[in-house]
Amino acid sequence: MAAGEIRFRVRRGGGADDPEARYQTYTLRVRPRMTVLDALVAIQNGQDPSLGYRYSCRVGMCGTCALQVNGRPRWACRTRLQALGERVTLEPLTNFPVLRDLAVDMTPFFDKMKRARAWAEPTGAASSEPARIPPESRERGRIEPHIECITCGICYSACSMVGHDPAFLGPAALNRAYTLVCDSRDEIGPNRLANLADEHGIWRCHSQFNCTEACPKGISPTAAIQGLKRRAVADGAKSFVGSILRGRAPGA
Amino acid sequence: MESSGPPVPSSVWNVASWRSMYPGMWSWVVQRLSAVVLLILFPFHVLNPYIAWLRLAVLALVILHGMHGLKVILTDFGFPARHQRRLLWALAAVGVAAFFALGFLRRAFWGFI
Repeated sequence: MAAGEIRFRVRRGGGADDPEARYQTYTLRVRPRMTVLDALVAIQNGQDPSLGYRYSCRVGMCGTCALQVNGRPRWACRTRLQALGERVTLEPLTNFPVLRDLAVDMTPFFDKMKRARAWAEPTGAASSEPARIPPESRERGRIEPHIECITCGICYSACSMVGHDPAFLGPAALNRAYTLVCDSRDEIGPNRLANLADEHGIWRCHSQFNCTEACPKGISPTAAIQGLKRRAVADGAKSFVGSILRGRAPGA
Repeated sequence: MESSGPPVPSSVWNVASWRSMYPGMWSWVVQRLSAVVLLILFPFHVLNPYIAWLRLAVLALVILHGMHGLKVILTDFGFPARHQRRLLWALAAVGVAAFFALGFLRRAFWGFI
């Protein structure tokens, strides 16, 4: 291998059309500041037009180019090659069905967003009046660190608990749900939390911080899930004490 | 979904993949393993508390296991997630210090080890 060249080991196949998974090697002369996505485009243009991968915006906004770089989930468009060494292994994200080569099927990820009801449901005045949550308020302070998610699926791929329990909602859906549970305009807050507080929801998280480490936007889904857990415990304690004060058996 | 294949398999036995594990994941794995080993060693320690190597092993494992437990408890009570790596290294330092301090105290007061 000459200087300035990188050897890419790329996982091919694995989809239904081409089920046999294998690794193919490409050698590419790289330029300074080149990204993983630039390299994939160059390989596809110059060496192998059949290479399958996915991207849209190229600038870290859309969240479609995520894949595994040397065993870690990263965004291809903003991962520079210079820090990766002379051998780079590219694989599709784990925990997702493979469509073809490096492209995965995001359906399970977005299905979980739906299961977590990851959209605001304001009613009454909140649905017609402009929002009044001041930027300096505590409420806004809680929501702010969790809103920049681009649904790239990197946290979902990094999470060992999604691998262990395919029904687990996963970091991104719970992170989104946390922003809504904290939002005073959202009217289904308490019901939303009840929907999340089960073995395939918040209690499946083991605080391993894999999602926090991997998130390219610097979000900590772990912190969001811990926030949801604290609220669930507080709600449970309130209803426990309330039922005792009313002279009923807890949980009845 | 019809046209997609199975996810990329990840295996614990793929040693090369361990290099890509993050510190928090290692800490979790170490806690799980230390629990299993403690479960095996602790009964022997109870039966005969005078085996020096076993006593030190149990001490080390209890500290390893407990330090991770502390990390999880602090995280549960709202320790900022952005400092989780720092928390891990700080607790590791506390654990090493506790191991030597407790080992030394035992030696000073009971004269064995």
